[in-house]
Amino acid sequence: MALILSSTGSYPRIGDSPELQVLRRTIAAVDRGERTPADLSDAEAEMTRRAIEEQVRAGIELVTDGLIRWYDPISHIAGKLSNIHIRGLLRFFDTNTYFRQPVLTGRPARTGPMLVDEYLFAANALGSMPTPDGKAARLGIKPVLTGPYTLAKHSIAEDAAMRPLEARAMAYAEALATEVRTLAEAGAQIIQVDEPAILKYPQDWDVFTRALNTLAIVRQDAGRQGKPVKIALCVYFHDCAPLYAKLSALPVDVLRLDFTYNPKLVDVVGAAGSPMPLALGLVDGRNTKLEDVAVVARQAEKLLPRIAGGVAYLSTSCGLEYLPRDRAFAKLQLLARIQAAVEGQRARAVERPA
Amino acid sequence: MSRARLQQLGVDLPLFPTTSVGSFPKPDYLVKARADFNKGKITAPQLEELERKATAFWIGKQEELGIDVLVDGEMYRGDMVAYFAERLPGFTTSGVVRSYGNRYYHKPIVTGEVRWTNPITVGWWKYAQSLTKKPVKGMLTGPYTVMDWSFNEYYPDRQATCMALAAVIRKEVEALVAAGCKIVQIDEPALSVRPDELRIAIEAMHRVTDGLDAYFITHACYGAFEYIYPDMLQMPVQNFDLEMSNSDLDMIELFRSKPFTKDISFGVVDVHSHLIEDTATVKKRIEQALTILPKEQVWVDPDCGLKTRTVEEAIEKLRACVVAARALRN
Repeated sequence: MALILSSTGSYPRIGDSPELQVLRRTIAAVDRGERTPADLSDAEAEMTRRAIEEQVRAGIELVTDGLIRWYDPISHIAGKLSNIHIRGLLRFFDTNTYFRQPVLTGRPARTGPMLVDEYLFAANALGSMPTPDGKAARLGIKPVLTGPYTLAKHSIAEDAAMRPLEARAMAYAEALATEVRTLAEAGAQIIQVDEPAILKYPQDWDVFTRALNTLAIVRQDAGRQGKPVKIALCVYFHDCAPLYAKLSALPVDVLRLDFTYNPKLVDVVGAAGSPMPLALGLVDGRNTKLEDVAVVARQAEKLLPRIAGGVAYLSTSCGLEYLPRDRAFAKLQLLARIQAAVEGQRARAVERPA
Repeated sequence: MSRARLQQLGVDLPLFPTTSVGSFPKPDYLVKARADFNKGKITAPQLEELERKATAFWIGKQEELGIDVLVDGEMYRGDMVAYFAERLPGFTTSGVVRSYGNRYYHKPIVTGEVRWTNPITVGWWKYAQSLTKKPVKGMLTGPYTVMDWSFNEYYPDRQATCMALAAVIRKEVEALVAAGCKIVQIDEPALSVRPDELRIAIEAMHRVTDGLDAYFITHACYGAFEYIYPDMLQMPVQNFDLEMSNSDLDMIELFRSKPFTKDISFGVVDVHSHLIEDTATVKKRIEQALTILPKEQVWVDPDCGLKTRTVEEAIEKLRACVVAARALRN
């Protein structure tokens, strides 16, 4: 059983030192008309490179671009589609962060690649960095998409045809399915699809699964065409336990769970097992307190024998943009210590005489 | 009912009282002074002198515009949670985290038992009130929001953190009331984030306000109110100050489903837009409120604090509130 260290998505866009303020300052300067969009793009690129470098330095193996360019998880995706305008601010789940709400004036449609350039930039940035000892052939970039159901749930429609939730979800799913195919063609081997809303609104399960199936079908097609790509479904910001059995039966390749909302989820998953690889969000991405390595390692050790597929991922419960940069980095380092503790324990178990 | 409470407190307000949510933009000289202070270039008394100057400016400007219930504008505050956390033992300050867009703040960390040792806002309230005969609101951040917007490394869970903070904030309310403050606004913008925790927010607000002789307002914004309405009306306050315009007044339909039983400070201008609403637009929004609420229950104000706007935009948005309210009074 391989235990891979994986980022969950976002990473802080700034830090406290002056060199880590470049993006914030550039955005402000662009707003004042003192800098250009090209300057903004440069600043985003610089902070993206830093985010990737910090993840790698902390020991993470499957990294993201930190979602540095994302205004928020909803409008960054929806805003790239036609027949959508972006409206006022709403709170994003129970976080003290906000997203801009998409308003559908017609059926959303893809007008071109949405995240491929960001993915390719991140892949090139990772490729140009020195590979740490012991990490050869173990590093990869994972693009992140907000899923069609969560996009639909956070959107409203002026167009009557788009008022039913299912109509919005299926329209988003169609656009995202094309993006999944394009990302696979660009070289992505695993794509994270975030669907936090389904934990909060389980009554929408049928809509959620129909939309997700659209992506699953495209993933299968890509595989048949020689561009195999895995879909990692990522859920967070609510208790996963009530939906766990249904989640683990979905047609995805990896299921990423937030363990911080219910301390009993470890027991639930441990008892039921998992028919697919799991990403274990055992480290809280929302609180600065650093978990006890031994406690989390014991939780991981309890879960790993119950996970099918020969691989599991260790990660934070959600993206790290909710933490100050120093703590975000510390959480990633913590993951590496937990991985070492788990692997050390397993090595000791092998060495013990039968 | 709430009008009677105000009259008992000696506060007589016109129909459609105008107010604002709390913060105003800081004048350029104060923005520079705060940066200079952080770099050690000026002293605390030098900074405070400019904060008092800016406070006086905004009190004067609100009087000039004809606002009925004034605020001090929070010239001395940065973030609404960090300001209090920095003055309460038990908190430390983290590095910056993002709120939205390009807005960041230092999110506090609870690292020990939180205690109240001295009044935090009373001096500023007294100063602002000394500049006007109109009532000035006391402005605090509520315990649920302080809890939700802080990291916690000390208390066992969210409820314990919230109730500990409620006890601390009550002491500040007591100090404001003892100083003569009649209208106290306790902001709870995090109120709707976890509907299953609404009971905690209500219990905490009881701890803060029960038995105290004041008219209490709570401000909430940018939330999913459909999941906590009408239960949120159990909050022990007389007035809900709500962001309405940014969401195109869609909460009106919610209030139509079950009666809104408290006074409302009805947000009629969007604080996240540079656009200055014209009188007709603001009047229409107030008239929308009157389709579901008796006119005696309706106050008029911006959606939220105006600190993200320019000084000029903030003034014009306040003016839009006043002009529309006056037109409707007549």
